[in-house]
Amino acid sequence: MFGPFRITNPLSGGLLWKIPWRLSPTQKARQRKRLRAVDQVIETVTNALAKKGETLKSLDRWKAEMPTEAEMLPRDKYTMFDRKAKRYRKGIHKLPKWTRVSQRINPPGF
Amino acid sequence: MSYFRITLHRSAIGLPKRTRGVLAALGLHRRGQLVFHPVSAQFAGMIMKVKELVRVDEVDRPLTRREVYVERRPEPGFWVESARGAFQQGQEGGQQVGGGEEGEVRL
Repeated sequence: MFGPFRITNPLSGGLLWKIPWRLSPTQKARQRKRLRAVDQVIETVTNALAKKGETLKSLDRWKAEMPTEAEMLPRDKYTMFDRKAKRYRKGIHKLPKWTRVSQRINPPGF
Repeated sequence: MSYFRITLHRSAIGLPKRTRGVLAALGLHRRGQLVFHPVSAQFAGMIMKVKELVRVDEVDRPLTRREVYVERRPEPGFWVESARGAFQQGQEGGQQVGGGEEGEVRL
């Protein structure tokens, strides 16, 4: 009845592994914090290189393509495009390693 | 000459080998580790590869091991916030009550 191998619905065969379809408010707050942390790194590197007068292709490309946390829409912060999902959106927490990868932009129109 | 002060904040467990290789090239092997590298496009590019995992500051000079140790060492002693009243009234019960920061009292 108790212990690690008790019979629960997820363990007794079948596919019943419940992941909530949306993020909780605290998960969303932490997601915003992580986005801002990456923005901070980008800003620091930009300022440091600007002082030395050097340029970096990957940095220029990031700044041209990626919006900052403040510029992003809530739907892009917490959800992402999925061609198989109803209305073409799924929670960003379905993305593998989602707390350690940058997923900011989605196909236009979706 | 300025330096990047790079701290590994998030672990690279389960991330691609390339990412872990970049961390190893930066000299970051464990979480919380601190390294200094000169500001240059080369190191900036490496930081860009692992920007989700690190915290970066720009500093004038790299800290020595001793300075890092001193910076990380917690302050000695302890803070008693309830002693605020005692501080305002002066010394009570033979305790030495010294002033700390605003809003805090240090015994």
